[in-house]
Amino acid sequence: MNIFVLNCGSSSLKYKLYAMENEQVLAEGRVERIGQENAIITHQSTGKEKVSNTMPILEHTVAIRECLNLLTHAEHGVIKNVNEIDAVGHRVVHGGESFSDSVLINERTKEILDSLAELAPLHNPANVTGIRAAEKIMPKTPQVAVFDTAFHSTIPPHAFLYAIPYSVYQRHKVRRYGFHGTSHKYVSQRAAEMMGRDIADLKIISCHLGNGASIAAIEGGKSVDTSMGFTPLEGLMMGTRSGDIDPGAIFYIMKKEGLSLHEIDSMLNKHSGLYGIAGVSDMRDIEKGIEEDDKLAKVAFNIYEYRIRKYIGSYVAAMNGVDAIVFTAGIGENTPALRTKLISHLPYLGISMNEENNKKRGEDIEISTPDSKVKVFVIPTDEELVIARDTASLTS
Amino acid sequence: MDIRRVAVLGAGRLGRGIAETAAGKGYDVVLFSQGAGGADAVARIEKSLDRKLAKWGITESEKRLILGRISYTQDLRELSNADLLIEATLDHMHIKRELLQTADQLCRPEVVFISASSTKKVTDLANEISRGDMLVGLHFIPPVPDVAVAELVRGARTGDHAVEVAKAFAQRLGKTVVEIAESSGLVNPRTLVAMINEAAYLVDEGVCEAADVDLILKSSWGMKQGPLEMADRLGLDLVLNWMEQLQMTFGPRYAPCPILRRYIREGRLGVKTRLGFLAYSEDDAVLTDDEGDKED
Repeated sequence: MNIFVLNCGSSSLKYKLYAMENEQVLAEGRVERIGQENAIITHQSTGKEKVSNTMPILEHTVAIRECLNLLTHAEHGVIKNVNEIDAVGHRVVHGGESFSDSVLINERTKEILDSLAELAPLHNPANVTGIRAAEKIMPKTPQVAVFDTAFHSTIPPHAFLYAIPYSVYQRHKVRRYGFHGTSHKYVSQRAAEMMGRDIADLKIISCHLGNGASIAAIEGGKSVDTSMGFTPLEGLMMGTRSGDIDPGAIFYIMKKEGLSLHEIDSMLNKHSGLYGIAGVSDMRDIEKGIEEDDKLAKVAFNIYEYRIRKYIGSYVAAMNGVDAIVFTAGIGENTPALRTKLISHLPYLGISMNEENNKKRGEDIEISTPDSKVKVFVIPTDEELVIARDTASLTS
Repeated sequence: MDIRRVAVLGAGRLGRGIAETAAGKGYDVVLFSQGAGGADAVARIEKSLDRKLAKWGITESEKRLILGRISYTQDLRELSNADLLIEATLDHMHIKRELLQTADQLCRPEVVFISASSTKKVTDLANEISRGDMLVGLHFIPPVPDVAVAELVRGARTGDHAVEVAKAFAQRLGKTVVEIAESSGLVNPRTLVAMINEAAYLVDEGVCEAADVDLILKSSWGMKQGPLEMADRLGLDLVLNWMEQLQMTFGPRYAPCPILRRYIREGRLGVKTRLGFLAYSEDDAVLTDDEGDKED
């Protein structure tokens, strides 16, 4: 069974083609600058040479058609015909309260997705554009939507409600939704496999630390709390996002600086986080700054680490314990110094680090010692594989 | 037709605002002006973007991206590449007639024309060109990037296709489009100049200082700017021009307050000369009374 996984943004898309019998990636690629004369399409079939073309790609239908042309290309492709694709899995950022699991897409699903655009204006419309474009090209192929929010639909009301007038939740569905659900689901399941334990018996804290970052408390395989909230702005310090901030400070800043709603939104989303403190948003630049004795780079790193530590502590309290902590995504996977510092600040958990393993990269690895009371793992995330699995399970 | 390249005729405040907004939404924009007066248009757009950057409204890379999409030229032949044309020149019939007729010859026949004019009727402008059915009125309100509404007007010959194209364009710029009947001065300039004129009379009659008129009205009605600051930002010469045009259509109720002509004679044109009803700093901020006195 071949599953085509699509992740459509407003001007870009990423894709992977899986053979589900052995969960093997047959090909992958991306299209950037959709809508422009000089769009770039990059494609690589497993075991073959990478190809890159620049061409006018003015909309998503054309972009997807070009991807399929490459997948079926005599030299660069891996399948002979588009009919060899059994189903398409789409990443959809926001499922609101309507979707607690992945769904087979039909007309009703699309209507609901359209109505959810308000909750994720930067992402959902692009995701739906990708769905419509794929349907146009492959009208007979089943399409599945896999939601970033769905994994967190098990969070109980005391964790998802904000302490604001209840009518605001009733009228506008303002609540914690959480994001990166597909990633949290994948790495927590993988950690359970690596421990040789049933996930139903485990309490896991997963830290998805990329340019956007979130942390989740997963009890018995179900998300019970997560740091991102109504939007991906809440929670941890991120590359350019502030994470948690006193709402009162926002009103004060708006008044003192004479800022509009758009300006304060942009400030908190694009000018804050690591960038706001140190002037660089990439953790590699922060580490370089620390080596060069840059004071603000050190401050930014310390805030970043402290915020994660606080969330870990609160989730240990929320679950009354923890069996494993998992690090994933760009920063989570590639910043051993951050993990060392974090763990050194959690002696009460009885974690014992394997420093040798902590330095390794690019593989699923346990970085705690065998006698550590709490296991710690680094697991490269694979959201596309979760999408492919869900798609296969709904369509086979 | 997929619209990607937008030509904006006129590099004044309105034209620059439309160019900045369109580039911010991903369009490639060519900004034209007839005289050399528009040569600093891109620099002025950059200044506007710098103000947004200082308020965290955009990022440095977004600023570079927006500027990278805007080019300035005095060569009208570049109109042949445009997918949409927007006329935002001074409200003088002879200027508009000449430019629209030239554009009519140079642009591809399927290109829709938009007039951002506030006092000239679309029907009259349409009579000057062969593609009269492709001309639609769409009035953006300065500062264009910040104002979320635009007034749309059909002329007697305007076709549905042109209206749909203009609506879709304005909506992509994030504007709510309100269609109104054709009338010189539309909603905004007509009501705005009436308010500005009355506020000017209050100053001229010595009832209160300009800053106090604005303070009272701003605080009373939740306005971000008072009418006299609005006039200064539009340019007192433009306000006077609007009033004269409206006076021709509607009669003496749009007769300009004498202080407007007096200020213009004295070179007090508003923000662009740093002094109008109020005084302004180099970065276009209103100066306080004390600072303003020093400027005066």
